[in-house]
Amino acid sequence: MSGSQAAYAAVDLSVKLGTLELAYPTLMGSGCYGSGEEFAPFADPAKIGGVVLKSVTQRPRLGNRAPRLVATPSGMLNAIGLQNPGIDWYLEHDLAERVPRPWKTIGSVAGFSVDEYAYVTQRLAAQPEIDAIELNVSCPNVAAEGETFACDPKLTGRVVRLVRDTTEKTLIVKLSPNVTDIAAVAREAEDAGADALAVINTVRGMAIDVDTWRPRLGNVTGGLSGPAIRPIAVLAVYEVACAVKIPIVGQGGIETVTDALEFFLAGATAVSIGTANFIDPRIPERIVEGLRAYLGERGLLSIGQIVGQANRGFAGAHRCEGREG
Amino acid sequence: MLTNQMPTAVHATTVLDRTEPAPGIVLLGFYAPELAAVTRPGQFLMAIPPGGERTATALGIYEAQDHRVAVLFFVCGPRTRELAGLRAGDGLEVTGPLGNGFDLSGSPRDVAVVAGGIGIASLLLPVQALIASSARVRLYYGARSAALLVERDRFAAEGCEIYCATDDGSYGRRGFVTGLLAGAEPRPDLVLACGPTPMLRATAAACSALGIPAQLSLEETFACGVGGCWGCVVPIDRNSAQAPRFPGPDEGGSDTVNARVCKEGPVFWAHELRW
Ligand SMILES: Cc1cc2nc3c(=O)[nH]c(=O)nc-3n(C[C@H](O)[C@H](O)[C@H](O)COP(=O)(O)OP(=O)(O)OC[C@H]3O[C@@H](n4cnc5c(N)ncnc54)[C@H](O)[C@@H]3O)c2cc1C
Ligand SMILES: Cc1cc2nc3c(=O)[nH]c(=O)nc-3n(C[C@H](O)[C@H](O)[C@H](O)COP(=O)(O)O)c2cc1C
Ligand code: FES
Repeated sequence: MSGSQAAYAAVDLSVKLGTLELAYPTLMGSGCYGSGEEFAPFADPAKIGGVVLKSVTQRPRLGNRAPRLVATPSGMLNAIGLQNPGIDWYLEHDLAERVPRPWKTIGSVAGFSVDEYAYVTQRLAAQPEIDAIELNVSCPNVAAEGETFACDPKLTGRVVRLVRDTTEKTLIVKLSPNVTDIAAVAREAEDAGADALAVINTVRGMAIDVDTWRPRLGNVTGGLSGPAIRPIAVLAVYEVACAVKIPIVGQGGIETVTDALEFFLAGATAVSIGTANFIDPRIPERIVEGLRAYLGERGLLSIGQIVGQANRGFAGAHRCEGREG
Repeated sequence: MLTNQMPTAVHATTVLDRTEPAPGIVLLGFYAPELAAVTRPGQFLMAIPPGGERTATALGIYEAQDHRVAVLFFVCGPRTRELAGLRAGDGLEVTGPLGNGFDLSGSPRDVAVVAGGIGIASLLLPVQALIASSARVRLYYGARSAALLVERDRFAAEGCEIYCATDDGSYGRRGFVTGLLAGAEPRPDLVLACGPTPMLRATAAACSALGIPAQLSLEETFACGVGGCWGCVVPIDRNSAQAPRFPGPDEGGSDTVNARVCKEGPVFWAHELRW
């Protein structure tokens, strides 16, 4: 091992979200990584910080009809519609048969009422296999109610407050970009007891087939992900970082270490990788190695040293107030 | 369908040969002995974009013998254009084999294989397997025009009888390939089909009318290709052996369940589809 490689190996990539300790600051995005087992044969499970499981609801959901996916420039639209077997079946089968892995497992909860969120969180968080909970209050692909939670700061606050009482485990609240003031929603979630915020879920979008004159998704509208939304996501992280003190999990179109670095510099403590796994499931581990090399080359000892650095030291119109250190 | 119990892996391969059997159709062979050894008829692979495209591309495994695997594809967009740019000696990473193949376990004696256009790419391996087991194989092959009826000689050399149809009448019978199937005498005891969805629906209807069991290899837009995103579904009977486990009607589920084309498929029994 050369001197520089030894220095890189000493770089600390571990991070904490509430009480959740991650060996690497990389989560696999909910809905993009199944239970993790689908990808385990092609990726190195020891180089993944955590896997956010597919969102689960109280009742079984068949999901939207096909087509559920459309490729778009620099991204894709999806409208899966939260297909899942419901919490009872999920705990009895999917979770019970889970293979132990070195990564941290984060359960994702979706719902259509405040009570549903609280009920499902309580059941899921009680499982020893679950290390933390992500609240998907921002799914754009289900009939109206789904996303309205994350679009209304007060409603977000109500959901988070009720859910907070059901578990001690780290609670990550996933925010929607489809709002006028994401910082306001972020502040409500923080005040209500969230331990961390996931920023952002997909951006609403639509594609139309010019031969058939019909929408290309069975659900008509969908959620846009991939590099197409990255600048939107970087700005959202930057704005949220200015507004709250709790850690942020940045996501939206991360494919390379450079993309990930943008999010850390904007104020994210960890990042999440979703759509990029559809190019190549080894992208997350390459990002981890890339982060190590980037920090090592600069003589930095930990990932924490770059978090939020884009918010410091300039006096432009958007200078970030209220977040120090 | 036979379930995929074979080791699936990312294979780093090298392109061995590249030909264009028709304008816009590319046959790409590459060095992949481990993949060739475990591939079963009807399985597919995901080609990892070699040059910066956005997602991996699902391609049926056309040939798998000794050290060589080949794919046959229609250049229709950015990803297939990128793959078409590969030359002998270039590297290509592929994930596979994926999906469940055709179920040939019932020792069928007389099989009709129905191909629509580039759907032919998933049908050589089952044809070879059937002929190796001494079954009679009739290939019903349709395309838009004569030039697109690629690889006919190859299938003839394998020993199957070939009946063609073209939309423009430039070769074989004018019209749809399903028209040929309806007149097949004597009736085959099994139908295997791959092609565009309208053709598969017509094949399913024809087989249902004739009382012949049919296995269809479906196409959907894929993202992950490995069962992780639930983006590629088709509704099927929840009592199908292929149905993903899901609560039944009594537990709040329903009679049909959305199965993943990439994981539970891509081959399904026609009578179990609820599309
Ligand atoms: C299991 C499975 C196996 C497959 N096997 C093969 C195979 O062996 N050979 C092969 O050529 N393709 C195969 N396909 C289809 C192939 O994956 C798609 O054609 C793929 O979308 C091409 O990507 P692209 O980026 O080049 O084009 P895209 O940008 O995805 O598509 C470009 C345009 O072409 C249209 N289009 C897509 N596919 C076709 C098609 N087959 N015919 C006509 N128009 C089309 C699209 O609607 C779009 O308008 C398979 C698909 C699946 C799911
Ligand atoms: C196919 C697909 C399914 C998704 N399903 C979910 C889901 O069930 N719950 C959720 O919170 N987010 C879901 N997402 C959103 C992702 O987790 C992620 O937040 C978003 O796609 C942005 O990141 P990316 O560009 O890296 O994919 C889904 C995204 C995709 C592409
Ligand atoms: S393409 Fe992801 S589940 Fe089939």
